[in-house]
Amino acid sequence: MHKKITLTTVFAVLMALSVSLVSAQDRVQIRWFVGLGAGTDGPIIALEEAFVEDYNNSQDEIELVLEVVDNTQAFDVLNTQIAAGNAPDIVGPMGIRGRASFPGVWLDLDPLIESTGYDLSDFDPELVDFYRVEDEGQLGLPFAVFPYFMLYNEDLFDEADAPYPPQSYGEPYVDWNGEERPWNMETLRDLAMYMTVDANGFDATMDEFNPDDIVQFGYGTGYTDMRGELVLFGAGNFVDDDGNAQIPTVWEEAADWIYAGMWEDYFYPNGIYRTSDILGGDSGNWFDSGNLAMMPNHTWYLGWGTSNLDANGVGWNIAPIPAYEDTITAKLHADTFGIMASTDHPEEAFEVFSYMLDEGALELTQMYGGLPARLSLRDGFFETFEETIGQEDGDINWGVAEEGLSYPDIPNHEEGMPSFLESSDRYAETWDFIVQNPDVDVTAELEELRADLQAIFDSAQ
Amino acid sequence: MDFMAEFEATRSKSQQSAWRRLFQMKRGEWREARWGLIFISPWLVGFLLFYLVPMIASLWFSTLDFTLSNPEAAEFVGLANWRRMLFEDPNTWVSLGVTFLFAAISLPIGMISAFMLAVLLNSEDLMGKNLFRTLFYAPTMVPLIAAILIWSQVLNPQTGWVNRGLEALGINATGVDGLRWFDDPSLVYIAYTFIGLWGIGNAILINLSALQGVPTSLYESAKVDGASWLRRLWAITLPMVSPVIFYNLILSMVGLLQYFIVPWVLTNGDGSPQGTTRFYMVYFYKQAFTFQNMGYGAALAWLMFIVGIVITFFLFRTARHWVYYSGESK
Repeated sequence: MHKKITLTTVFAVLMALSVSLVSAQDRVQIRWFVGLGAGTDGPIIALEEAFVEDYNNSQDEIELVLEVVDNTQAFDVLNTQIAAGNAPDIVGPMGIRGRASFPGVWLDLDPLIESTGYDLSDFDPELVDFYRVEDEGQLGLPFAVFPYFMLYNEDLFDEADAPYPPQSYGEPYVDWNGEERPWNMETLRDLAMYMTVDANGFDATMDEFNPDDIVQFGYGTGYTDMRGELVLFGAGNFVDDDGNAQIPTVWEEAADWIYAGMWEDYFYPNGIYRTSDILGGDSGNWFDSGNLAMMPNHTWYLGWGTSNLDANGVGWNIAPIPAYEDTITAKLHADTFGIMASTDHPEEAFEVFSYMLDEGALELTQMYGGLPARLSLRDGFFETFEETIGQEDGDINWGVAEEGLSYPDIPNHEEGMPSFLESSDRYAETWDFIVQNPDVDVTAELEELRADLQAIFDSAQ
Repeated sequence: MDFMAEFEATRSKSQQSAWRRLFQMKRGEWREARWGLIFISPWLVGFLLFYLVPMIASLWFSTLDFTLSNPEAAEFVGLANWRRMLFEDPNTWVSLGVTFLFAAISLPIGMISAFMLAVLLNSEDLMGKNLFRTLFYAPTMVPLIAAILIWSQVLNPQTGWVNRGLEALGINATGVDGLRWFDDPSLVYIAYTFIGLWGIGNAILINLSALQGVPTSLYESAKVDGASWLRRLWAITLPMVSPVIFYNLILSMVGLLQYFIVPWVLTNGDGSPQGTTRFYMVYFYKQAFTFQNMGYGAALAWLMFIVGIVITFFLFRTARHWVYYSGESK
């Protein structure tokens, strides 16, 4: 009897296993790699898993498999997977930097768009062209754009008795003396100095101010690299139209402004303070610390779990990006998904890709904090987004975010360069030196950077 | 006949007889040997698959222009990667120099600290020996990445405990002119060495076990002869534990040549400050995996392998002058 029961049990287990194996084998497995952009923060991963589960339950042809790799490691991991012939099928969301880091590995979507009759009419045609790369084809389709704006800490402004920054583009700033001033970099500098405070309560405009004991900073551009910090003064790239290395003049001026802000005016966090507890330690989340008055950033900062402003008791709102020499540059992040050219299942990957841009787009853009690239999905986006980030009663000035889309940086600050990763590594080294040292000849450093980039570009040819 | 000639003759004879024995084995002996081979085969297979074959493959890669993200386009370039590495790329020698400079600072400090702490923990006069042994070993059990992140904040220039403590003692440690452990080229190796000391528990343990193996009768005789503590340390302890010191030296040297995790976690390989932390393995990793130059990365890996072999060989050659094996006849 015992023997019979055992045999029956073993048989049942084998049957169950074989049924599940057959079921798994019937579906085409599509691997979705997340890590080159948004989507790797803890709270978001659970939402991504739920998205995948919903998708898998919605049909029985494809099994979508999620792979999340921390952003700091994602580039190396993807490289290794590609080299090992184990590349995923879909990668994203990713910005221009993510795409440019892997030249030649993306599938040209044109044949699939044509064969499936994919409707592009709901996208801004210019944004569609944004993903068309010469000699490589249509490497993506618009998924989301992430508007840029100035985040400010209302509590710190209230405490300093300083008026908030302007509430819309074109409005002047009325300062703490009641003086009306244009909302530009000079005004930003003065306001930021006023908002920078040492342990004794002196602000950076005062003679008694002690730069060795700062407890609150006025302004800093966080969560970006050298190009992202410099682009506030105007759009540019380190490579010119002829493929030569260059330092755009506005970027030289921006570097001087930031350097003075760090080491002379002390309103901009320098290397000493950037990873201190005052500004959130190694997290680099300066604004979340509650000790930074103003920081420009994109909607993704609010959307994918990076900020935790409510929990930290930071009262915040958003304002326009200030102008430099009458030109406003609100840098743009535009994300997409890419299908890898090495995929064995391009049709199925495109089906998932289409789902992400169509039925799943609203859920994903809310998750990542991006404004949907589909024009039909934009209405009412910010109302839903407020709910997503728990700001129903926040009275956030979202109009400024949408207005900011009118001032994109062209060329984009993440635009490609020859030997992209090596070039990026080189400029990061220069920026680190400038950020860490109070005795730097910025002009000489930038010239050295230009010469080194030229050498890298030359060797890439 | 001198010792080496005698040794070589014995070894040669022993090898010949081993081969002869293999071919002249009886059936029962062969069965026994076969089981031996089966038992060591997982290691042999592992060695072949995960060491020897990749090593040979990497030697081949070093002759290719091989981009990691586009392996199909790999192209044979002969010795171009080796020429670039040895004669054209200044970063090769800079990163090698950085590694040796750090080794020159960190190795003696690490080894002497581990040895002296072991001597202390072995002392008859120390109270609460077990407690101290546990405390000194405990940091080794903290995961390395976590320990590095903790240290990065402990040594933070503005809010770290070390600088705050020094400030409390009246030393100007914070602020613009303060002690910037990870950002000042003259301090960064000290900071890195400090982090390294946090994990010397294993070396202490090995030294301690060696110290406990030294016969106490030797110390007693020396004491009777009036030898001081320092004299006993120099004339008895050090020679008796020299094989263990040699062992630690080899492991530490190889470890330093492969020094990677600490700078990678702290700087993500950007070499800051001013290239002083662009250690060889960091440079290798960036070339191979970040910049995707796998062919060039393979050449860099082989150079480090050759350097490691040369140093190890050199250390073994010196060992005969200072390492004492009690069972050895000379």
